[in-house]
Amino acid sequence: MSQVEKKAGLLRRTSSSKKPLKEKVVLMYDEIFAKEDPAKHNSRFWDELFLMKVNLEYLESKLETVDGEEVQRIQDNINSLFHHCVQALGEEHQIKVVNALQTLCALFRGVHQKNKSASGFDIINMLMGFDKAEQRMKDLMERLDSLLCGDGSESLKSLCLKLLLCLVTVTDNISQNTILEYVMINSIFEAILQILSDVSSRGQHGYDAVVLLALLVNYRKYESVNPYIVKLSIVDDEPTLDGMGMVVHQALTEYNRQYKDKEEENQGGFFSTLTSMVGSMFIADADEKLSVQTNEAILLALYEAVHLNRNFITVLAQSHPEMDIAATPMTPTPTTPTTPLGTTPPSLDMMNNPELPLDPNLLTSNLLITFLKYASIVMQDTKDEHRLNSARLCLIILTCIAEDQYADAFLHDDNMNFRVNLHKMPMRHRKKAVDKNIPSRPLVCAVLDLMVEFIVTHMMKDFPMDLYLRCVQIIHKLLCYQKKCRIRLHYTWRELWSALINLLKFLLSNETTLLAKHNIFHLALLVVNLFNMFITYGDTFLPTSNSYDELYYEIVRMHQVFDNLYCMVLRVSTNTGQWKEAASKVTHALVNVRAIINHFNPKIESYAAVNHISQLSEEQVLEVVRSNYDTLTLKLQDGLDQFERYSEQPKEAAFFKELVRSISLNVRKNVSLNTLSQDVLLKEFSTIS
Amino acid sequence: MEDTELEVSPTPSDQNSPSPSSSPSLSLPSTPSSSCAPPPAATPPLGVISEGVAELSLFIDAEVAQRACQEVLQKVKLQQVEGDVPSQHSGAKPVPNSPPVALTASGKPMKIREQEDDPEGLAPGSVKSARRRQRHNPSKQSWLLRLFESKLFDVSMAISYLHNSKEPGVQAYIGNRLFSFPHEEVDFYLPQLLNMYIHMDEDVGDAIKPYVVHRCRQSISFSLMCAWLLGAYSSDMHISTQRHSRGTKLRKLILSDELKPAGSRAHRDPLTFSLIPFCPTSSPATGPGPLGGDHGLSPSKRTHQRSKSDATVSISLSSNLKRTASNPKVESSQDEPVRLAPQREFIKSLMGIGKRLATLPTKEQKTQRLISELSLLNHKLPARVWLPTAAFDHHVVRVPHTQAVVLNSKDKAPYLIYVEVLECDNFETSSVPIRIPENRIRSTRSVENLPDCGMTAEQRAGSFSMVPNYDNDDEAWSVDDIGELQVELPEVHTNSCDNISQFSVDSITSLESKDPVFIAAGDIRRRLSEQLAQAPTTFKRDPEDPSAVALKEPWEEKVRRIREGSPYGHLPNWRLLSVIVKCGDDLRQELLAFQVLQQLKSIWEQERVPLWIKPYKILVLSSDSGMIEPVVNAVSLHQVKKQSQLSLLDYLLQEHGAPTTEAFLSAQRNFVQSCAGYSLICYLLQVKDRHNGNILLDAEGHIIHIDFGFILSSSPKNLGFETSAFKLTTEFVDVMGGPEGDMFNYYKMLMLQGLIAARKHMDRVLQIVEIMQQGSQLPCFHGSSTMRGLKERFHMSLTEEQLQLLIDQLVDGSMRSLTTKLYDGFQYLTNGIM
Repeated sequence: MSQVEKKAGLLRRTSSSKKPLKEKVVLMYDEIFAKEDPAKHNSRFWDELFLMKVNLEYLESKLETVDGEEVQRIQDNINSLFHHCVQALGEEHQIKVVNALQTLCALFRGVHQKNKSASGFDIINMLMGFDKAEQRMKDLMERLDSLLCGDGSESLKSLCLKLLLCLVTVTDNISQNTILEYVMINSIFEAILQILSDVSSRGQHGYDAVVLLALLVNYRKYESVNPYIVKLSIVDDEPTLDGMGMVVHQALTEYNRQYKDKEEENQGGFFSTLTSMVGSMFIADADEKLSVQTNEAILLALYEAVHLNRNFITVLAQSHPEMDIAATPMTPTPTTPTTPLGTTPPSLDMMNNPELPLDPNLLTSNLLITFLKYASIVMQDTKDEHRLNSARLCLIILTCIAEDQYADAFLHDDNMNFRVNLHKMPMRHRKKAVDKNIPSRPLVCAVLDLMVEFIVTHMMKDFPMDLYLRCVQIIHKLLCYQKKCRIRLHYTWRELWSALINLLKFLLSNETTLLAKHNIFHLALLVVNLFNMFITYGDTFLPTSNSYDELYYEIVRMHQVFDNLYCMVLRVSTNTGQWKEAASKVTHALVNVRAIINHFNPKIESYAAVNHISQLSEEQVLEVVRSNYDTLTLKLQDGLDQFERYSEQPKEAAFFKELVRSISLNVRKNVSLNTLSQDVLLKEFSTIS
Repeated sequence: MEDTELEVSPTPSDQNSPSPSSSPSLSLPSTPSSSCAPPPAATPPLGVISEGVAELSLFIDAEVAQRACQEVLQKVKLQQVEGDVPSQHSGAKPVPNSPPVALTASGKPMKIREQEDDPEGLAPGSVKSARRRQRHNPSKQSWLLRLFESKLFDVSMAISYLHNSKEPGVQAYIGNRLFSFPHEEVDFYLPQLLNMYIHMDEDVGDAIKPYVVHRCRQSISFSLMCAWLLGAYSSDMHISTQRHSRGTKLRKLILSDELKPAGSRAHRDPLTFSLIPFCPTSSPATGPGPLGGDHGLSPSKRTHQRSKSDATVSISLSSNLKRTASNPKVESSQDEPVRLAPQREFIKSLMGIGKRLATLPTKEQKTQRLISELSLLNHKLPARVWLPTAAFDHHVVRVPHTQAVVLNSKDKAPYLIYVEVLECDNFETSSVPIRIPENRIRSTRSVENLPDCGMTAEQRAGSFSMVPNYDNDDEAWSVDDIGELQVELPEVHTNSCDNISQFSVDSITSLESKDPVFIAAGDIRRRLSEQLAQAPTTFKRDPEDPSAVALKEPWEEKVRRIREGSPYGHLPNWRLLSVIVKCGDDLRQELLAFQVLQQLKSIWEQERVPLWIKPYKILVLSSDSGMIEPVVNAVSLHQVKKQSQLSLLDYLLQEHGAPTTEAFLSAQRNFVQSCAGYSLICYLLQVKDRHNGNILLDAEGHIIHIDFGFILSSSPKNLGFETSAFKLTTEFVDVMGGPEGDMFNYYKMLMLQGLIAARKHMDRVLQIVEIMQQGSQLPCFHGSSTMRGLKERFHMSLTEEQLQLLIDQLVDGSMRSLTTKLYDGFQYLTNGIM
């Protein structure tokens, strides 16, 4: 393989060095760009063309140089080229198919490059001709479909997917790519599914297929009925959904692994002290090469699957040992009935056949765990725009998951315990948790940990308000589920409480700077209402009676924060201003917290006075709390356990548009590179056949 | 069938059950058997022969067997006439066509001999000599005959005579008589039958084989059971002889699936037909069975499916096709169904999981791996597979993988799985249920919609707009989950939740009356502690002992919970089963113990002695693997003590109530009755290794001994511990109210009654053990005195007074036994078992 590559490289270099001597294929391209019908003099012109190795650069640059008037002139020839490309896809000779695919790539790209501003209709006209466009595209999609679904060469399939990716990403804004209208009509959804459901093809093309699907789903998502959305949402074939999950799983796992390697590398020996000192700075630099960007498409695919397809939720929890499912097929053994008895091997004990390669060190994992780990890495640093986008998308996905009842069921399943090693930002004031200390717990604990981790690590000047809101809402949704289902999760709620109180503290101390950009009262309201959930409904989901006491202890201990918050919101709500209403909501929400503080503080003080103790121990405070519940009256607040369901439109539409644009650019960039290396690969392929 | 009705003949119902409905031709085969001398294992043209076999099998049904029985009897009678005239009490007349046959009598049993038999089996010499022997003791013969003809002659006796009689005529007769016993009764002795087939001489083997082959043709499960047992009991033979042994040959024959049902054509058609419902092309609507896939689906689901089929017929079709292709369990209708393959695959994958688990170092890893492996297994279900330990016909539809637990064992990895099954009439012919995707349960679950309960109108509208594009034209979308589910909300759930705490939902709805609602913090706190106290005592989750929690949960509770979470839970024929999969353990001793326990249990039932024991089913798959039916609602004394940190008595008081309550007293009675039962068992079988991990306590107070790895002649590590007759700790005695209490006397009395009853039927117990000793290397048969020792422990020679004395001695000895305590200490030190 590498030899072939070298040879190919050599060949190309020599050919480019001898400039005056033009390749035959280039001459033929020139003919196409001449006025006349190239087949006029040579009836076998098209046959021959597709036998030539494609010169993508030349063809593309040629297309780009064509200007307005010439277009009219050569349009027939280009239409004809397109037509013959499509026809060549049906050829038996695979070289022709390969060349046709690549030529099509060049056509789509070249035409778009040239006519960035042109309307989609002009482009269609130029490529295929208006009157024939529908038929041409139908043929093209059908051919691609049969190539993708057939038993043909894998490189061919790969090239088909590249072509489709190329077509989907030729415009920056996918919704402006009018040609895709034909891809909507002539669906290749089934072909994509087939690739995903088959183990071997999934391994080779899964990534491309998933990215393609994610992009197609986003074509004119909000304006029209996109058949890919409809179809994706009703897929219920488990192998296929699993396949999709596996592709996402593998991509994210790969990233996690690379990140871990890098981290270990950085922390080795001498550096370790240095890293912990300038930790966050260093990490940000170190993993720059590990582009999060490449995974945006995969995350988008995950989001679409989770958001659109209810059946996909089960895939999230589909645990598998960290190896391909492919390795463990339960192959039927129909040997006995088909082969005559005499020839059956003396397998007295069928069960002794070892069938699986086994590595005891591999931990069982599932897509959700991998996703949580990935999210923990991505959310560490949100300064870079792509990272911010990824972090946002991760939180959106988690929001969808937290709203799904089936997902909640397995998140809280007491029998499904996992150790999830979330990545935590190295910070001066805390030690890096040793992996082994993490207990095996229901997955929801990992989600909560992740949220707590985010809350405590992102209190910065450039406040990611949007992410914070999502984060707090996710916690709220999980609490609602626990309350409804009476699930008493054994979680150290204290960590959450103190993180939330610290968040309030941060909001207070940065009030002025933050208010310039954000509505901090909304966030404060959500946080206070989380406390209200615990206060009024704690009986339904807290794990022990002690934890309820601890909640009061924590509130009383940090009463200053709540006092200050109350002062602040009271002040704002009494003034007239844009925040008046928002602030007054917080004042109302604080009623129970204040009642608690006002009730217990005097009690604690008098206890201290009576017993002549200056500093009460925690146990003593808890004792005071326990003995004074009965005289405290709380007000039942409205709608604490209700939440707004996630909806993509209209709130998130802009975000997704931008995200898809960024993905398109990235995919386009990578596809072009890949196609060229594909070229090399096909070189080898041509010598075989 | 003409009624010549010998007294020997079984009741009519018995005859009917095994015979295939097609009337069998009575013309006996013109013995082609001698012509096909080479054993079929070596002959390639199986196709031809198998046809022949299929035809032949027609003759092996109850009717023919009956006839053969009569003929043999006839023959014996004729011989008796030669000697002296017996006082025949039976009204038997010679069967019309039998006298000529009887003259050439010796050949008779061959008529129903399978042609696969080794040619030597046909050699008349042995039979002749047998006849000679018979002639010598005619008086004994007459007694035998009278016995065989009597109503008292049951399977147990038949097995015993088959084993003890040296006379081929008698053996052949009994071989034929087997056909007339009810299947279940013979099935109990299947290990004995097969062990005799493997290890005893030709005559016995020849007598047994027709019956076994006949049953194999009838039933897949019987076939597999035979194959497993044959493999297991052949394993003690020397490897060179094993390969050519009769047992191995028969096993191969069974596994080759040559033994298809007789009259296969006629039978197979409905079978293949019934496969159609789970062929890809049929939509759920065509599923004719009561188990139709969309049986209990909500209307919303139906619309969803309908819209789907409208929109994307092509994908759903192609994806279904794919599933079929990737699922080896789904037999396609074209091919002849492979009868045994699915079940063998199923068992094999369960064993494979056990093997792989054993390589993992920690319990936690094992548990995780187990769960993930099982979730993969789920992809292949439902299929035509079943749990052999179950008492009814069913298909396995799902393994709730998250419920599975790894059991405590040092180096092996036994595990417990729960298995959801759908009961059916006949697992061989009923159609396999259609797969329902995992997440379908959401339509029956109640929770998802709950967040919406208190939603305001706009909020709800907002949630609809989640999929704004489809509202207009695709109705299936608008009823996604919210609207529809509200109706389906099972009232039980809301009630059970909310009558505990009046607040959660009620207060929200009442909020519309604008008055602020006040609550006392004390109430919340009180409710919290009350609810925590109310919750049934559960064990704390311990990653090192994952099974404790799973086993503590009451079975009904678990069934309800799993049913709620299962996509198949709504089907009326849904059942939950559980099974322990053991890999790397020899369960043959366990099976032996099960048989003895079962036998004693029925003896005690017959004699109306209220001793309580719980034999749990054992499935031997090979000499080092098998399955065990778990005892539900029971945890080991070790787990009880470790988790509760209470003495046994205090634990029972905690679970059942004060000493004078009805609940406690009945638990105590159960405890005493089971204690007495197991004390006797332990004494008779010399059950050792009685540490607290091997004794379970069930929810009704019974104790149940498990793990019969050390019985009869074997004991662990030969340390000479556990010399006491059985385990009777002071804790046990405390539960019985102390050594002076009435219950303790009751305990001793029960033991006496139990021993007297067991003694009366000693032979039924001895026979089970004795036959299994044949050719066995099991440690429980180590040494030469196993049988003698066992027999002696029944103390046939003692009077009842003497027996009472003996019981007193045994009890006293066990109570005082230092070794019991010592042994527990030893276990605590070495295995951490309390």
